[in-house]
Amino acid sequence: MNQEAIIVDRGYRPYEGPRGTLRSSMWAIVKDGYRRALGLRRRAWSKVMPWGLIALMLMITFVVIAVAWFAGDLIPDLPSYAEYFDLTSQLGLLFVALTGPLLLVPDRVNGVLAVYMSRPLRMVDYLLAKTAALVSLMLTFYLVPQAILHLGLAGLSDDGFFTYLGANLDVLWKVPIVALAYIATHGSIAFAVSAFLGKSGLASGLYLGFIIITNNVAGLIVGTANFTGAKYAALFAIEQHPRYVRDWVFDSNAGFLIMEDAGFDPWVSAVCIVFVVAVSALIVWRQYRKLP
Amino acid sequence: MTLFSVDNLTHDYGAVQALTDVTLEVPDGAIGLVGANGAGKSTLIKILLGLLTPTSGEVEVLGENVRTHVREARARVGYMPEGDCLPVDQSASDFVAYAAELAGVPAKAARRRASESLALVGLGEERFRYLKDFSTGMFQRVKLAQAIVHDPKVVFLDEPTAGLDPEGREQMLDLVNRLADYDISVIFSTHILSDIERTCEWVVLLDNGRVKRNGPLDRLGSHGVVQLELIDDPQSTAEILRGRGLTVTVDGFRMSIPSADGVTTLIRDAFAETGTGIRSMTETQVTLEEAFFAVGPDLPPPVPT
Repeated sequence: MNQEAIIVDRGYRPYEGPRGTLRSSMWAIVKDGYRRALGLRRRAWSKVMPWGLIALMLMITFVVIAVAWFAGDLIPDLPSYAEYFDLTSQLGLLFVALTGPLLLVPDRVNGVLAVYMSRPLRMVDYLLAKTAALVSLMLTFYLVPQAILHLGLAGLSDDGFFTYLGANLDVLWKVPIVALAYIATHGSIAFAVSAFLGKSGLASGLYLGFIIITNNVAGLIVGTANFTGAKYAALFAIEQHPRYVRDWVFDSNAGFLIMEDAGFDPWVSAVCIVFVVAVSALIVWRQYRKLP
Repeated sequence: MTLFSVDNLTHDYGAVQALTDVTLEVPDGAIGLVGANGAGKSTLIKILLGLLTPTSGEVEVLGENVRTHVREARARVGYMPEGDCLPVDQSASDFVAYAAELAGVPAKAARRRASESLALVGLGEERFRYLKDFSTGMFQRVKLAQAIVHDPKVVFLDEPTAGLDPEGREQMLDLVNRLADYDISVIFSTHILSDIERTCEWVVLLDNGRVKRNGPLDRLGSHGVVQLELIDDPQSTAEILRGRGLTVTVDGFRMSIPSADGVTTLIRDAFAETGTGIRSMTETQVTLEEAFFAVGPDLPPPVPT
């Protein structure tokens, strides 16, 4: 041991370093959102759900690639990019049900908003940063497996890697747009529900219940009711709007859709998504504008 | 330097008038904001932080108009809320570093500042523990650490000793006193008057949304009453003292006179003139508590600002 070694406790002292702008404060909120949603720097059980869902999402991707590699000749109809959304959208639903409430509820319940609002931030900045955290997390959740799938299929293509990529350039804009449609619909509702409830788990359950019930009730009414205007119940099948937009963007038909069954064009679903986002934003703002 | 100033400030919550026509100018240093529950302390703090928009009136904190430059004002203040404000699933170090980042301190410096702030409040060893495992006293210390981590010019402490045991309270008051060493002004809101007497040099007394007193604590405390017990009839001496502008109350062989600079000299001279015998003469100090509960004329008027 070096006998000359000393321990110097510099203690608290005035800070004379640089200070960031509003953007750096908002970025801090986004980073904190990532840590909270993924359970980083938290106890082990906080990591189980998000990383379990991420592992499942990636597993589906690798299974599809493995099937294409080992049995591509035997199973020629591998899931298309559009169909892949169907394979993974339920996981996406669970991920947003987990993430949305985690981003909003604990700050409010623990009283941390009082700390946020004593910093050079306004409530609108806080909400925008939280939205950015949710959107970027969800985009990563949807796009990374799609990117792996895309590169994997390109690598396995008989036409060669770059020929495959060149022939599927449209995927580069179609997949992100469809992912945004999913995120906008589900994320906004998850935030709206979370703005009211004091427990993240309860908010997740209520959000999932809302999605499932509206879907089933709308399907039941459109499928069985005979009264005039019954078809408009399809507008309340919220979970199906991004799927109808997906079929529109990919020019595909990946399965039965209530909106299609009721005779609506896909653009109506796009309008419904915008409406859902606007109403949800209004609800969240009304709840938060007078806090803390 | 003026810490904050408010001009004709009024705020109401519907039918409830929380603050009524409050005008104040407060210098930097340790400021006590005193009043009973519902007096308007928390409302005033929230308005100073820009969390509430006043019904009418103007507010400036550190020279920044809070209505028009709220971000600039908040960049230089810290706030320790009265209630819970800590995420229990995070470590103290992570949360305090995050609080620094929110104030614009870069991430690496924020972690260093968090360690320094937690060391200052006596949680250097416990900084990596989860907040869920902390006691009430430790919670209060973390709340103080997050309020000062970004080196604010002024820190608002809302009931910082609430819920603390006597030992924890003493430690918190010592910490508040230490903030002056780092050139951090303090606005200490409480209804515990002895805490103010321990920590503050200027006091604002609020009562039912109005300013009852505003001035240096020593000036408030030095205004007492000179009480005399006499051997002879006091009337002739009382007349002389009244003639010299003093307010004299006579009750049998007792006499009381509000104390002020030079009053004892005037009393001595008057008794020398009349030859009246004195059994005893004492000067009683008015504590902050007496000042708070007293009504108007017995106490000095608010210091003009």
